[in-house]
Amino acid sequence: MADLTGANGQRENFRVVGKPNIPGLTSYAMATGIAKFGSDFNVPGMLFAKMLRSPYSHSRVLSIDTAAALAIPGVVDVVLWNDPIFKEIGSGPLSGKKSSYLPNEAHCEGAEVGAVVIAESEGLCDEALQALIVEWEQLPFIVDLKKGLDPDFPTIRGPEWDESDTYGPTSVTSEGHTWMATHYPEDPRKVGNVSWTTKIEGDLEAGWAEADFILEYDVNLHDVVSLLPNPQASVAWWTDNMYKPGKTLRIEGAVGRRGMIANMYKVPDDNVIQEGLFQGGKYCDWGLRMAQEITPLLSKRVGGRPVRCCNTREENFDMCVNERHAHIKLGVTKDGLITAVEDNSLLDHGAPNSSEMTVYDRDWNGYYSLKCENIVQKYTVVDSNRGFMHTCGQFVPYSWDMVTVGIAVLAEKLNKDPTDLARLNIHGPDSQKDTRPVPSFEACLEEGKRLMNWNWHKAGTKRLPDGRLHGASFRYQMCPRHAFMKYFCKLEYRGGVVHFPTQGPIAGWFGTECFTMIAAEELGLNFEDICVDYDYRAEHTDEAGGSDGVTGHGWIVKECANLLKKKILESAVKEAQIEVMRFGPMEMPKPPSPLKGYTADELDIMDGKVFVKADPSVFVPFSQATSETISADYGGNSPKSAWATTFGRRFDTMNTSWCEVAVDDETGEVEILKYMVVADPGKVIRRTSLESQIDQVVFFSQGCQLLEEYIMDPETGVKLNGNMVDYRKPTTLDVPVVDKEILELRSGDGAYGASGIAHNLANSHLIITAIHNATGVWVDPPATPDRMLKALGKC
Amino acid sequence: MGNNQVGITLKSASEQAAATIAAMPVRPKTIRCPICQQLCLTYADLAEHYASEHPDSVAPTAVTLNVNGINCNLIFEPHLTLKQVLQYHLGLIGAKEMCDRGACGSCTVIMDGKPALSCNILASECEGKIIETVEGIAVIPKWKPLIDEYCKWDAMQCGYCTPGFLVAAKALLDRNPNPTEYEINDALSGNICICGTQPRHSQAILEAVKLMAEGSDI
Repeated sequence: MADLTGANGQRENFRVVGKPNIPGLTSYAMATGIAKFGSDFNVPGMLFAKMLRSPYSHSRVLSIDTAAALAIPGVVDVVLWNDPIFKEIGSGPLSGKKSSYLPNEAHCEGAEVGAVVIAESEGLCDEALQALIVEWEQLPFIVDLKKGLDPDFPTIRGPEWDESDTYGPTSVTSEGHTWMATHYPEDPRKVGNVSWTTKIEGDLEAGWAEADFILEYDVNLHDVVSLLPNPQASVAWWTDNMYKPGKTLRIEGAVGRRGMIANMYKVPDDNVIQEGLFQGGKYCDWGLRMAQEITPLLSKRVGGRPVRCCNTREENFDMCVNERHAHIKLGVTKDGLITAVEDNSLLDHGAPNSSEMTVYDRDWNGYYSLKCENIVQKYTVVDSNRGFMHTCGQFVPYSWDMVTVGIAVLAEKLNKDPTDLARLNIHGPDSQKDTRPVPSFEACLEEGKRLMNWNWHKAGTKRLPDGRLHGASFRYQMCPRHAFMKYFCKLEYRGGVVHFPTQGPIAGWFGTECFTMIAAEELGLNFEDICVDYDYRAEHTDEAGGSDGVTGHGWIVKECANLLKKKILESAVKEAQIEVMRFGPMEMPKPPSPLKGYTADELDIMDGKVFVKADPSVFVPFSQATSETISADYGGNSPKSAWATTFGRRFDTMNTSWCEVAVDDETGEVEILKYMVVADPGKVIRRTSLESQIDQVVFFSQGCQLLEEYIMDPETGVKLNGNMVDYRKPTTLDVPVVDKEILELRSGDGAYGASGIAHNLANSHLIITAIHNATGVWVDPPATPDRMLKALGKC
Repeated sequence: MGNNQVGITLKSASEQAAATIAAMPVRPKTIRCPICQQLCLTYADLAEHYASEHPDSVAPTAVTLNVNGINCNLIFEPHLTLKQVLQYHLGLIGAKEMCDRGACGSCTVIMDGKPALSCNILASECEGKIIETVEGIAVIPKWKPLIDEYCKWDAMQCGYCTPGFLVAAKALLDRNPNPTEYEINDALSGNICICGTQPRHSQAILEAVKLMAEGSDI
């Protein structure tokens, strides 16, 4: 019961929170095709725009002859990178460093570079791009990280990408743990295409000295593509508004806080009209693409006429997990206690301005869940032209599998059940020195073992009756909750109804639904009693950060709802005293209120009534509680989660995942026989979407371990499968049924003890570990049949 | 007590879908040259304009499409896909484009009773076909349980691919009103959801089948 500081954090009885199968607020709009995404906006008389994209892995545009393109009827303009118009705009919200908004150097294949064409139709844009005579300079490229390590290889980034300013003091949590530091002051300076960063905790030498043996293993991660489902697009135009000075920008599709676009175009927020509630899937990819940002500039260029720009699938094939090769050494006692960890990783830095979250984050790592305090992470980071990585925290938990694999390797060596080794090594709730069992871990572990009929065996020792090899694996992970963000909520009682204004956007995690359920719970109302007002001008946004963010944000909503409730009751009491109603100069006697004479503390709200607690038969309908319009707002930080302050050195809630596979060692085919998640989200807020988020992370995890592979041609540096035909995502016939067991220990410190679930179950090696248990060989993901046969020495 | 302007209920969403269908033009409001925006009075004028002004370009074509039970006389460029014509000429946005090449099923419509990928079909080749989009399904009471169960089971997250799944599900139930879980997964295997809702669809459809068998809203 960790929600100790907020109103009703210890609530026992729930009427609304936790209920399954309540349709989402916008689900009917999405299911019936009326929901408008960025690419759905269609404005009469609009023009179309398309960007020139690099056909090479690394290139520079030296010159462009536009005459032939401009001669095509219907082509309105071609804007080049050196046009002064690009100096008029600032950087986008996540644009990073750029010499020009539209550069003339492309750092990966498909990057926007050199020119934008504007025409009467998309077809004419394509024709115009074909007609441009571009003088390209092909530049040295790195898509093979080992090539990038060669000190003699030409430097692929110019001095404008000098990252020396990212050295320096690191961010430190309130408990003194460093995090998200790109480099540490003591790290060597960058040489050529390589930079280094080392994070040291404890005394590695002492850790080796305590150990009885050293265990070494490799964990390899490959590139994974996120694929935002919807083409990123916008339509924008400028108009005069008689009520406002300056031009008004109307932009449709560029979903996000309007301040972002307003800042880019240096206009007041109030001069931006934004349409587009439906953002599509984001998966922590928060950057806007150029197609979403550039249309106001192009509209200005053509005198205010609407301009639409929409990426194709191939143009939206960005990476979200970067290649990484870790060589790990563990110091271990003969009983299996880990005393030292040394992680030497080689990582892809991606193209400039890529998200560094998956490159440099060493804090979101299972190492800190261990009692072992001697941990060194040495990262060698290579600049590359492999692709652009947008901010994507969804996949950061993959680094937890360094521990998953380590425990499996250790289990094999010591012939011990990995769940026992995990229990031996995992620290207690309060610190790495805390030897007490973590209640949530123990509960999830025991329930998982029971439901899986867990009976661990050594690798390659069990065959199923049909002759296939049997393997099983498990992993544990805490919930890395987002409660370091500031959240805001406003609720209003107006015309007898509680309104919840929010700008959205809708990105798929049903956050607003969770908040509405919490508000309804606290206000004694039903879910459908709250009127959710979607309005881009509202201050509240749904950008909470998946279910784990929702629980922190939900805590804020809970406090806000209680503030509103208090105000409604006070107002009801005040109005109950009034005996005369006034309409201007006229006075009329007011019917006596049943609540007259009571104080607010003596009243409560439930089932659409404001009633006297001591005698519930005395009530007024909630819709008539008061004629006043009452608003309550509440903002700030929710209680900080264990992860947000200690990155695993403290534990609240815990989850476990389990996988059972069958491997055909003749064909190399892998079948998932069972995938089980036993999770403790603390408290379930909206059960259906919580379960759906589990399905989502299993989809991601299964895809990257069995199917998905981003292939680049080492000779040319271009993508060979940058489309949805050749890059395989799992389908309804591929995904396993996920058995889910949800425990509610109420030990998180989000609303009602919730912690959330979203990020933590994503993994890169649970299935791979089960395959190892079946076959005795380690295969690097994805474990496709051909890779399996190769690993088994059969081809 | 509460209400919402985004389609919080099936009724309001169906009404918006119906309004979208009602707004489909049965003939072009104006005839403009798609290259130079020249206004023409008739299709013959447009053809003549092309011959004189854009002799190297293929002239727009005049086609009658039967969409959601309504015959629409349209004039559009012959290279446009059915998906593009549905969006740009008829204002129907339920068919979505995700993959560009017939690999994801988001653009699924029903054509002559069979699921078809509207991003891969030239609209000019659809004359004489009966085309049904998700908006058309949304207004038919028989399919209320299907839409309801999709929403109750969260067979959607971001919602972008959902109409394609729903259309494919309706096409399945048209030909097999009592499918098994495997038959559902097989029928929907051409649809990709990046949010990972794959296991949710069979759940929703099986629940809907039960309700439809009981006669709910039929």
